[in-house]
Amino acid sequence: MKQMIGKVLFAIVLSVLLAGCAANQPIDSGSSGDIHLILAAYTTPREAYGEIIPLFQAMWQEEHGQTVTFEESYQGSGAQSRAVVEGFEADVVALSLEADVTRILDAGLITHDWKSVGANGMVSDSVVALAVRPGNPLGIDDWDDLGDEGVEVLTPNPATSGGAMWNVLGLYGAALRGQVAGVPGDDPDAAREFLKSVLANVLVMDDSARDSITNFEQGIGHVAITYENEVLVGQQAGLDYELVIPRSTILIENPVAVVDEYVDEHGTREVAEALVEFLFTTEAQEIFAKYGLRSVDPDVAAATSDQYPPVPDLFTIEYFGGWPQAREDIFGESGVFNVAIQEVQGQ
Amino acid sequence: MAAVPRPANRNTRSPESTLRVLSFVFITVMIVIPMIVILQDAFREGFNEFWHQVTLPVAVSAIVLTLWTSALMTAINAVMGLATAFVLVRYDFPGKSILNAIIDLPLAIPTLVTGVMLVILFGPQQTLGALLEQQLGFQVIFAPPGIILALLFITFPFVVRTIQPVLLELDQAQEHAAATLGARGWTIFRRVIFPALALPTLSGSLLSFARAVGEFGAVVIVAGNIPFKSQTAAVYVLGAVESENRLAASAISVVLITISLAVILFTNRMLARRNRS
Repeated sequence: MKQMIGKVLFAIVLSVLLAGCAANQPIDSGSSGDIHLILAAYTTPREAYGEIIPLFQAMWQEEHGQTVTFEESYQGSGAQSRAVVEGFEADVVALSLEADVTRILDAGLITHDWKSVGANGMVSDSVVALAVRPGNPLGIDDWDDLGDEGVEVLTPNPATSGGAMWNVLGLYGAALRGQVAGVPGDDPDAAREFLKSVLANVLVMDDSARDSITNFEQGIGHVAITYENEVLVGQQAGLDYELVIPRSTILIENPVAVVDEYVDEHGTREVAEALVEFLFTTEAQEIFAKYGLRSVDPDVAAATSDQYPPVPDLFTIEYFGGWPQAREDIFGESGVFNVAIQEVQGQ
Repeated sequence: MAAVPRPANRNTRSPESTLRVLSFVFITVMIVIPMIVILQDAFREGFNEFWHQVTLPVAVSAIVLTLWTSALMTAINAVMGLATAFVLVRYDFPGKSILNAIIDLPLAIPTLVTGVMLVILFGPQQTLGALLEQQLGFQVIFAPPGIILALLFITFPFVVRTIQPVLLELDQAQEHAAATLGARGWTIFRRVIFPALALPTLSGSLLSFARAVGEFGAVVIVAGNIPFKSQTAAVYVLGAVESENRLAASAISVVLITISLAVILFTNRMLARRNRS
C-alpha cells in the first residue's frame, strides 16, 4: 500500500514537472519546439481558415523549424470582439466589420496601426445580396421587388447583428443613390419611404445573420437579405437557393488584426504578424475566393471575376461618412432605421 | 463525519441561528447583491436617464407585449394545470405514471430547442402551421400566439407541481360529507375542493408568470422580434446589450423585476385578507 502511494506521488511530481517544462517551452525556445497561437474569428471564414492554417503551419515549419499549434474560436463578430475586450487572449482577430476591431482598439489592446497591413487591414470582401427560392418564382431581381405587397423578407435585427446593419445600409444607400427603380435619388424622405415598404414585409428579425439564413433554409420567407458569401457557401453545401446581386449595393470589408497586448504577453508577435501577412498572399486569397469571399488582391479578384461579377454601383461605408457616423444617423435612437420601423408599425 | 448529537434540551437555538445566518448569507450573495447591482446600474446616470430609457416607445411596446402574453399564458396555465393535477391525483388510468413523468420534461429541455420545435410544428411552411394560417387566417409562429405557446410549454410544470402535493393531502372526508348532503360533482369541486386549491393554484401561476416575463431562449426563436410588433422585453434587452446600451438593458430589467415583485406582493396581500375574513 505504502509502495503504491509512493508510486502515485512520484507520477504526480513527474507530470507536474513535465507540464511546467511544456508551458515554458514557447518562451525560451527560439528555433525549436511548439508555438501556440489563438485565432478569434467570425463564423463565415471557418472553412477558409481550415485550409489556410495547415499551409501556414507548413510554411512556418519549413522556415523556422517550429510547429505552430492553433486554438481557433469562431462566433459572431460582435460577440467575438467583446470576448477579446473582456479577456479572451486572442493573438489574432479576424472579424466581419471594422467597428468590431475599433472596439478592441478603444480598449487599448491594439496599439499599432492595423490598417497599414495588407489592403487597409481588410483581408476579404463581400457584398450585400439577396437569396431567393429555386427558380426565383417571384422574379425578384433588385431591391425594388422587396417592397412589393406579399413578399416575405428575412433580415436580422440591426440591434444585435452587424450583418443586419450592412443589409439596411445596402438597401437604404441604393435608394438614396437613385439606384432603386421608382425612388428618386438624393431624396432622404423617398429613400426612407422605400425602406419602410421593405420593413413592412419583414417576417422575422433574427439575432444574427446566421440565424436568419438558417430560417430561410428551413423554408421561411421568400427572400433573405444576406451576404454574397453566405449564399455561395450554402450553395456549395448543396442548398438550392439562388443568389441575386442588386445593381447597387454596399461593399462589406472584413478586417484582420494582431492584438498587441496579448501577443506581447504570449511572446507570439512574430508568428502572429507572419500569419496576418500570410493571409494576403495569393495562396490564401485564392482560398478565401474558393469559400465565397471576394479577394482583396487585384490579381486574384480579376482571375475570379466569373464567380464574382463586378457590381455596377458599388459603394462603401464611407458613403455614410464611416461607421461612427452611420451608427448615429441610421441606427441611433432617432436614426433613420428606428424612425422607419416605428412608422411602419403605426406608432 | 457524524458529530455526537447534543442533548436536545441544550443549545436548541444553535442550529436555528446557524441555519438562519447560512440562508441569509446565501440569499444575500445569490440574489440580493446581483439585484442591487442591476438597480444601481439602471440608475447610474440618474432617474431622468432611467425614465428616458424605459419610456422609449420601442421599450414600452416590448414591455406591454411581454406582460399581456405572459398574463394570458398564466390564465391558461392556471386552468389547465389545475385540471391536470386533479386528473393525475384523483383518477387511475393506464399510462398515468408515464404522463406524470412527462410533465417535468419541459424543465430539462433547453428553451432554445423548445422554440425550434414549435417552429417545426407550427411554422408557416409546416403542415399544421400552413393549415391554421390558410384556413383560419391564424398566424402562430412570428406572432403573439407563438410566444404564448412557448411560454405555456416552458412553465406548465409550475402550476401542476404546486397543486399536486396539496391535493394529495386533501382530506376526502369533506367531499364525502358534501356528497352525502346531496351535492353534485361540480358543486363539490366548486365549494369544497377548489377553495383548498386556490392558494397553490395562485402561487403556481405566479411562479409561471414570473418565469415567463424573463423568458428569452424560446421566445427569440418563435416571436419574430420585430420592434413594435413582436419583440418582447427580453429580446429588446439582448439588443440593448449587443449594441452596448447597458443602461437600457438594466433599466428594462428593473421594470420587469418591479412588475413581478408587485404582482407577487399584491397577491400575497389579497390572500392574507381573504384568510382573515
